[in-house]
Amino acid sequence: MIRPKVCVLRTAGTNCDKETAFAFKMAGGSVELVHINKIVSGQACLEKYHILALPGGFSYGDDISSGKIFANELKYKLRQDIEKFILDGKLIIGICNGFQVLVKSGILPGDSGFEQKASLILNDSAKFEDRWVYLKSHCRRGATLQTKCVWTKNLPEIIYLPVAHGEGKFVVKDNTVLNQLNRNNQIVFQYCDNYGRLSGYPFNPNGSQENIAGICDKSGRVFGLMPHPERHAYPQQHPRWTAKGNKKTGDGFQIFRNGVEYARKMF
Amino acid sequence: MLDVLLEARDRNLYTAITDCGAGGLSSAVGEMAAELGAKVYLERVPLKYSGLSYMEIWISESQERMVLAVPPDNSEELIKLFEKENVEATVIGEFTDTKMLQLYYKDNLVCELEMAFLHSGLPSIPKKAVFVQTKHREPRFSCPKDLTKTLLALLSRYDICSKEWVIRQYDHEVQGGSVLKPLTGVCNDGPSDASIVKPLLDSQRGLIVSCGINFRYGFIDPYWMAASCIDEALRQIIAVGGSLEEVALLDNFCWGNPDKPDRLGSLVRATLGCYDFAKAFGAPFISGKDSLNNEFNVRGKSVSIPGTLLISALAVMPDVRKAVSMYAKNPTDLIYVVGLTKEELGGSHYYDLVGYTGNGVPKVDARRSKAIFNALSRASARGIIRAMHDCSDGGLGVALAEMAFSGGLGMDIFLAEVPYQASDNSNQAAKRNDFILFSESNSRFIVEVERKSQGEFEAQLKGLPFGLIGCVAKGRDFRVFGVCGEVCINTNIAELKDAWQKPLRW
Repeated sequence: MIRPKVCVLRTAGTNCDKETAFAFKMAGGSVELVHINKIVSGQACLEKYHILALPGGFSYGDDISSGKIFANELKYKLRQDIEKFILDGKLIIGICNGFQVLVKSGILPGDSGFEQKASLILNDSAKFEDRWVYLKSHCRRGATLQTKCVWTKNLPEIIYLPVAHGEGKFVVKDNTVLNQLNRNNQIVFQYCDNYGRLSGYPFNPNGSQENIAGICDKSGRVFGLMPHPERHAYPQQHPRWTAKGNKKTGDGFQIFRNGVEYARKMF
Repeated sequence: MLDVLLEARDRNLYTAITDCGAGGLSSAVGEMAAELGAKVYLERVPLKYSGLSYMEIWISESQERMVLAVPPDNSEELIKLFEKENVEATVIGEFTDTKMLQLYYKDNLVCELEMAFLHSGLPSIPKKAVFVQTKHREPRFSCPKDLTKTLLALLSRYDICSKEWVIRQYDHEVQGGSVLKPLTGVCNDGPSDASIVKPLLDSQRGLIVSCGINFRYGFIDPYWMAASCIDEALRQIIAVGGSLEEVALLDNFCWGNPDKPDRLGSLVRATLGCYDFAKAFGAPFISGKDSLNNEFNVRGKSVSIPGTLLISALAVMPDVRKAVSMYAKNPTDLIYVVGLTKEELGGSHYYDLVGYTGNGVPKVDARRSKAIFNALSRASARGIIRAMHDCSDGGLGVALAEMAFSGGLGMDIFLAEVPYQASDNSNQAAKRNDFILFSESNSRFIVEVERKSQGEFEAQLKGLPFGLIGCVAKGRDFRVFGVCGEVCINTNIAELKDAWQKPLRW
């Protein structure tokens, strides 16, 4: 396959769809923006895509709680399509509001039959914040760095991305969920300081448990995160590029490339 | 709604569009049908709740509504398109060629007026405007020896201090096009002069957005307040690496009751300033807004807000990779001031801090200002400017401090090297450290240049007022030496930054 097909799923209130599509295009994907109604009504079909991306925004005004209504649409209207998509070995990424949707629909951390096991709740600062954060990009197991997440291969140990959210504090239903995340190596990103040490606010911008910024399912193919990799896909998005000069790509770009490359090989 | 509107636009489904703002449907339909005529069936308008009378329906200002003019053949396709994304769209009437506005409610004609009468039936109203320049007390005090505390106090003023608390609460990076963010510097917390966005991600063309405001100058003369606001907005465009090639302005007037002759007089003075300097800079006003009648009663007397003008500027930037940020980059780099510092402290933060308004309001010499702007645009296009910051509220002192602490680097600055013009130039004592540091003369910049670019940079500025006033320091100390070489500010960037961040660090 030359150009894997990417579906950027949008709905009322989605506002990061174009830059997410742009990042996938840069990475070599063939991208379409698809409104959820089109899939629910049967006019479009998830099956023809290899990657499903849920972008950032404030779907349905974030009424009830961030991403909740969108999550319920996936859970109650598209469950079979999504289950088949995952079973077929395809890829899903949820960014910011998209991560909230994956968690609140129970698609992440996974294996729960669409039952919600974790949540993203109001930041400890009790307000929306847009700021740049450092992320530890691998789970350290003993002496070796390893990740099972196909989206985050070949990343440096620390990357730099912006967050922009009011409800991004990752919490789990109970400790068994946390143990499962740890045991299965599903914690993909943790907020840290510029030396890679897990630190408090503002390095951990929302007070997430265990500084969790992003997780994947057991397969490593379904991945969600609060920070915005599409906002650091090209070098001039970095807040200090005027001092550091132009790199070739931004830190977030590799994530999109990993997704596209994986799909290219597998399908 | 916006997503679908864009798609409908791209498919050419409508021929005109107007937002329902003040006056609701009455203004939107009234404006669109001005040359034609219109019939509207008010019972067809979707309502959020029942019980509205036809008049309320006609003038309701419910948000998120647009009126479209759609050729009848496209109507079905358009409505289907909106339905697909759960957006309501309803045919509420038609444009006619009767030059009449006709409103119906459940088969009853409830309004019939000639369009000509609606749009030009109101005779113009003569209003009285008076402007008398207030003579303020001229300050009499001698220059303090140590100006460290003064600088710290200026940095802590609400109009100068960090606005990070509020900026972070807005998603200023959405859509992925922000090339220069409102917060910048080694800790992402310094004040950018302007923001740059590139609306099309696959293009290097960008848009610069900036603004200028200083209501205190209006206490002296609203004409020069307008000129200064325009100069400030435009020089921020220049400070981030832009040029005057393709610029446009917007005005925003917040004033008192214009039926009162003194309020209207000052408003007229401000608009005259807008007119003169928009022409002088070749920067057209493309839109604007006003908010009048901002008065309230105190013990039976009506008090007006200070007549305040906000000027926003927009500029097209052909290549965003030429952008310049405001924070100090490298120890030993040279620091220049470009532009002439005059004894113009009327309405300044410094005078206000010590309890005066004064009379020497900053003026604008548009010819010289343009020459400076163009020279700096050329220099930034050549890539020889490491950092640039506009001098505005709080003058040189505040601009230098902001540049230093945002870059995490100290500075050594020599005031004797600042090109300065006192109001009485024959008197050497008139060359005061405080006036040089805190005068708010327009059209000035601080520029950081690498040592190896010194010759090339100075050649660009030939014939213009500029001074090599110091350099970026290796450590964190921030020192300013007065006109006679004496130390007049001795502090460090941590103390400066703390003073600047403290007031709104919530």
